[in-house]
Amino acid sequence: MANSKEMKQVLLGPVFANNPIALQVLGICSALAVTSKMEKALIMSIALTLVTAFSSLFISMIRNHIPSSVRIIVQMTIIASLVIVVDQTLQAFVYATAKELSVFVGLIITNCIVMGRAEAYAMKSPPMMSFLDGIGNGLGYSFILLTVAFIRELGGSGTLFGVEILPLVAEGGWYQPMGLLILPPSSFFIIGLIIWVLRTYKKDQVEAKA
Amino acid sequence: MAKKETVGRTLGVVVGLCLVCAIVVATASVQLRPLQKASKDADIQRNILLVSGFGEVEDVASTFAKNIEPRVINIETGEFVEEDAATFDFEATKYDAKRSFKLDKADDKAGVQRMTSNSPVYFARNEAGTIQTIVLPIQGYGLWGIMYGFLALEADGQTVKSINFYKHNETPGLGGEIQNPKWTAMFEGKSLPLDIVKSGAEGNQHKVDGLSGATLTSNGVDNTVDFWTSDKAFGPFLAKVRKGELN
Repeated sequence: MANSKEMKQVLLGPVFANNPIALQVLGICSALAVTSKMEKALIMSIALTLVTAFSSLFISMIRNHIPSSVRIIVQMTIIASLVIVVDQTLQAFVYATAKELSVFVGLIITNCIVMGRAEAYAMKSPPMMSFLDGIGNGLGYSFILLTVAFIRELGGSGTLFGVEILPLVAEGGWYQPMGLLILPPSSFFIIGLIIWVLRTYKKDQVEAKA
Repeated sequence: MAKKETVGRTLGVVVGLCLVCAIVVATASVQLRPLQKASKDADIQRNILLVSGFGEVEDVASTFAKNIEPRVINIETGEFVEEDAATFDFEATKYDAKRSFKLDKADDKAGVQRMTSNSPVYFARNEAGTIQTIVLPIQGYGLWGIMYGFLALEADGQTVKSINFYKHNETPGLGGEIQNPKWTAMFEGKSLPLDIVKSGAEGNQHKVDGLSGATLTSNGVDNTVDFWTSDKAFGPFLAKVRKGELN
């Protein structure tokens, strides 16, 4: 059984040191799409964290029985089932947000982070560690998503979680919102800047020149 | 390791896994369906209450039951028909060949393609029982997809009370501002037929300022309102309302 130090490393490593978005540059698609509002980003983060954690757990539990010739299909089946369950649950309990997230919850199935962790970690590690690894990578994803959403919602709409922070010019305030931040491409710039900051701070993340 | 690669074993694992997953997914779907239906209906009721001027209320279902009277009308004649508005499933009806029809391209200003022959309408009455608001369900093509909403009219069937869209795919922050209460408030007190213009709507009974940065969405709203208040849609019904045949 793994000791607690190793568990902590697996859980917290992906947040800064080995962030799935910033270092591995996975899962960019949804990071662009659902970060215009904090609430959407938060629900998406929770959904992805749960799916990654449980898919890693289940895949790890049956990893010795998965025939390697069909392992990707088996992983996809498990992930897809979990995503459908999450999607149905969201529609039942937070209908308004589920409506806004629309297709992106379904697209968790093809999110590279989930597949990547299943293939790279859960296939080789015991269930408990795989579960923690899933949570850790979900947290890493959530960290970037919420940071980007914070900047985009505050700068683009002057609100946070829908609560007015900067009064907009259009509504008699002083803040002229940045239209670019509302549009998905702005996430590219923000994520790029985050990667830059992270790599300046942690030099070991810079790839060696080929 | 080599042992587990027999065809039989592979098939066994795959079939077993599929069974388990299918059961999990099916259970989730069946168990959650009533809750989902309830959330969806509550969302629609909440929007009908919003558009008829009740604001955000705590108990959507009971306020709705107390104040809103849903009826079903025939689009062509504008007459009431005996059908339960609460169970009227728009999506199912729209593709039921017997209960809907295809629109000609020339008539289809809002880009809806098919129309249901009957449609629900909603009345909000005051305590004396007089109709205060008539709520019409509307829908039309915006920039990215069909926008679903409600248009609320005063009892005269002529003056606009409010408009709101509860389901759309417009760009958040640009076209998505059709949901902004500050924009929809500009419709209040305007008179049909409406025209959404780039500027100079102030003081004009029939004009509303469009959304800046969202010309195509604004055009979509313009076409949607025009279409649903025209003779092809709620026109015959509104004609009766204007003649005072309701009260």
